[in-house]
Amino acid sequence: MPDITITIGGEAGQGVQTIGEVLSRILIRNGFYVFSIQDYHSRIRGGHNSVQVRFSDQPIQAIGTDTDLLVCLNHETQEIHQTALKKDGIMIGTISSPPSPSLPSSMVSIHFNEMAKELGNRIFANIIAVGALIEILGIDEKIAELYLEEIFQKKGKDIIRLNKEALALGQKEIRKHQISRKFLDKRNGSQNPGKLFIVGGNEALGLGAILAGCTFYSAYPMTPSTGVMNFISSRSKKYGIIVEQAEDEIAAINMAIGASYTGAKAMTATSGGGFCLMVEGLGLAAMTETPIVILDGMRPGPSTGLPTRTSQGDLEFVLSASHDEFPRFVFAPRDPQDAIDTMIRAFNLSDHFQVPVIILSDQYLADSNWTFSQIKVNEKPKNTQTVIGDQNYQRYVLAESGISPRALPGMSEALVVADSDEHDEIGHLTEDLELRVQMHQKRMKKIEKMREKTRPPVYKAGKTATIVGWGSTYGVLYEAREKLVNLGVDVGLLHFNDIYPLSKDILTFIKSVPQPVVIEGNYQGQLARLLERETKIPFSLRINRYDGRPFFVNELMNQIREVLS
Amino acid sequence: MFSFRNQLEIAWCPGCGNFNLLTALSEALVELGLKPSQVVLVSGIGQAAKAPHYIQANVFNGLHGRSIPVAFGIQSVNPELTVIAESGDGCMYGEGGNHLIHAIRRNPNITVIVHDNQVYGLTKGQASPTSEAGFVSKTQPLGTVSESFHPLALAVSQNASFVARGFAGDKEELKSIFKQAIQWKGFSLVDVLQPCVTFNRINTFGWYKSRVYSLPEDYDPEDQVGAFKISLEWGDKIPTGIIYRHSKPIFSDLVFEKLGRKEFLNPTRNYQSIFEDEKHGFE
Repeated sequence: MPDITITIGGEAGQGVQTIGEVLSRILIRNGFYVFSIQDYHSRIRGGHNSVQVRFSDQPIQAIGTDTDLLVCLNHETQEIHQTALKKDGIMIGTISSPPSPSLPSSMVSIHFNEMAKELGNRIFANIIAVGALIEILGIDEKIAELYLEEIFQKKGKDIIRLNKEALALGQKEIRKHQISRKFLDKRNGSQNPGKLFIVGGNEALGLGAILAGCTFYSAYPMTPSTGVMNFISSRSKKYGIIVEQAEDEIAAINMAIGASYTGAKAMTATSGGGFCLMVEGLGLAAMTETPIVILDGMRPGPSTGLPTRTSQGDLEFVLSASHDEFPRFVFAPRDPQDAIDTMIRAFNLSDHFQVPVIILSDQYLADSNWTFSQIKVNEKPKNTQTVIGDQNYQRYVLAESGISPRALPGMSEALVVADSDEHDEIGHLTEDLELRVQMHQKRMKKIEKMREKTRPPVYKAGKTATIVGWGSTYGVLYEAREKLVNLGVDVGLLHFNDIYPLSKDILTFIKSVPQPVVIEGNYQGQLARLLERETKIPFSLRINRYDGRPFFVNELMNQIREVLS
Repeated sequence: MFSFRNQLEIAWCPGCGNFNLLTALSEALVELGLKPSQVVLVSGIGQAAKAPHYIQANVFNGLHGRSIPVAFGIQSVNPELTVIAESGDGCMYGEGGNHLIHAIRRNPNITVIVHDNQVYGLTKGQASPTSEAGFVSKTQPLGTVSESFHPLALAVSQNASFVARGFAGDKEELKSIFKQAIQWKGFSLVDVLQPCVTFNRINTFGWYKSRVYSLPEDYDPEDQVGAFKISLEWGDKIPTGIIYRHSKPIFSDLVFEKLGRKEFLNPTRNYQSIFEDEKHGFE
C-alpha cells in the first residue's frame, strides 16, 4: 500500500500550485486518493511557497509528515525542506549543494526552466516537472497525456502537442539517471479507473451555499475566505446570485441583513479580524431576528496575526461575540463533504429559527484538497419560511415557540417593522421593561429547540482514552487514532462539527467517555473550556498547537502518548 | 385622506425641526401615490432615526451609521420597493461616512434623507461632523477645531446622481424636494437643515431663515461644475433646492442585466441537478 508524500517548493509565482494541481489530477485519474495542502506566505511574488501532495490507494484525509519526494523550483526549497526528507527520499530540481551528510537521500539535478526554453517557452517548465514526477513515481504516461488533452482541449492541438512533448521531456530526463527507489510496484494506471473527486474546502463551502439557495453574498476579501467568494461569484450569473464586494466588513454584514430582511438567503464570509468588525451587525441580526449565515475562516491572531496560516482560535470569540445574550448556532465542518452538508443545514436552521449561524472554517480546510470516492448532498435545502400577512401583522408576536412568523416587505399588505432597539410585538421601539423581559425570553427560549436540532459528535469508542477535537482536525485525529490502535493503544475519538448549542443527550454522553484528551489549534483549549462549562467536569488533558501550522499525524501520535503516560 | 403618519407617541422635543420634516415626508409619500407596503424606511440611531417609527410603512431601524448598507441590500433584492434611508448628520456623515461614499459609487435606487442639525442631540449636545469650527459644547469646551464636513460638495464632486438641500422651516419646498428625490432613479442625497432647539443655540430657525434662499428657476442642476460651486456656498447665503442631478444607470438594473434574472426570492433551483452539474468540476 503506497503512502507517498511529495513536497513541491518554490517562490510564489513559480508554478508550485500548478504542478501540485496537475499532479493531483493525474493521480486521482490513476485511482489514487490524494490529499494536498498549500503552505504560503502573505505576498504575491517571491517568498517561499510549497504544496504538499500526499497519495495512497486507500482513503487519506490528513497532511503527511515526512517527504518522500522533494521538488525544488529554487535553491531555497532544498534548505527549507530537506530536513523533512526521508532517509530514502529523493530530491529533484534546482539543487545547489549535496544533501547534508546525515541525509543519505538521492538527488537528481534538473533545470526545468532551461529545458522549457528549449521547447520555446518557460510556461512548459511545470509540465516538464510533472513529467519527471510521473516517471519517478512510475505512473503510466497515457493517463497524464489524456489529462493534458482534456485541460488544453480548448487551446488547440498545437498546445496539446507541446505539452505532451514537455511531459515526455521530463520523463526522458529522469530515465537518464539511476533512481535509487521504486515508488510504485508497477505502472498501475489502467488498474483502477474508479471515479474519484478532488474537492477543496473553500470550493465545498461555496458549493454548499449555492445548493442551500444562497441568493445574496456580500463580503470584503480576506484570507482565507476569499476563495469562497471567488467560487460563488464565478457562478453568480449561472444561478442568479447577487455578489457584492463591500467597502468593509461592517457594510458586508449590514448589506446581507438588509437582503435577508427582504427575503434573500444571505451570507457573508470573512476571517477573525473581519469578523471583529461584523460583530455589531451580528447583534443586529440577532435582535431583528433576521436569518444570516456568517463564515469565519480562522487564521492566527490577534489582530492581523499570520494572514496565511491556520488556527482554531476564534471559537470562544464567536460563541459570545456581540453584547448581551442571544441564541446562535456554531458549526465547524470537518472536511469538504461535511462543508457542503453543513452549509445547507446552516441556511435551513438560520431561516427556521431566525438566528445567526456561524460557520468556523480555517486556512487548513480552506486551502486543502480531499479525495472522495463519491461526493453527495446529504441535506435537503428548504424554502424560506415566510407568511403572507395583513394589516394586523406583527413581526415580533410573542409566539409560544419563540419563533414569530416572518413576513417580507412588499409581498403583502403586512408592514414589516424590524428594530435593533428593544421593541414591541409590532416592531416599534419600546422602553416598557416588562415587555423587554418578554421579548428577551421569546428570543432566548429558541435555544432549547435549537439544541434538539444539533447533531452528535462523531464517536469511535476506545478503552484507554478518547481524543477529542473539532472542525478541520478530523482527518488528522482519525488517522492518528487508527495508527495508535494498530500499535495497541486503544484510544477512541470524539469529534465535534456542531459545537453550539449541544443537546442534553450529547452533554450526558460526553461525561461518560474514558479519559478525554482535547486537541485544538489554540492556546487555552477553547472547546475544552466550553465542555467544562457545559458538563461541569474537568477536561484537563489537552494538546494545543498555535504556531500557525496544522497538526501532523506522527507528531500528534507522540504527543498523545506523552499526555497519556 | 390617507396619511402615512401613525398613532405612535413622538419622542422629540417640542419645536424640534424633525416635526416638519416628518410631515413633509408623510405628505410626499401620499402625494406620490405610494402604498405603505411598497415603502421601506431604513434608519440608524439618533433622534432623527426614530422618524420611520412614526410613519406607516415597512421599517428597518438598524445600527448607528449603517442604514445605507441595509437599504442597499433591500433595494438590490427587491427593486420594486421604494427604499428611503433616513437619519441624522452624526449617523450618515460620522459613523456612516464610508458607506455614503461607496453608495454614491454604486448608485443604488435609494433616497438618503439626512436630518442635519449640526449637533448630536440624543447624546446631549456634542459637536457633529457638520458643526462649524469653533462650536462650543460640553465635550468641546474650547470650541471644536475641526473644519465642518460639506456633504453636498462631496456628493457633487463624486458625481452623485441626485443632490439636494432642504430646510425644515419651508415644508412645501421640502416636500417637493422629497418627491423629486424619491422619484429619481438612482442614489439621492437630501441634506435637510433642521434646527435642534435644545442643543444648538447657534443654528436656530432664525439663523437659517435669514440665510437660506431657494435656487432660482434658471439654475441648471445638470451642470456639475456650477453645482459644485453652489454646493460650497455656505455662510451668509445658503442655497436650497436641487443642487445637482445626473442620470446614470442604477446598481440593481446593471446587476440584473448582467445576471439575466429578475426573480431572486424563493429561487426554484434544482439543487440536485446543480450538484450533478458542478460535481464534474471536482473529477
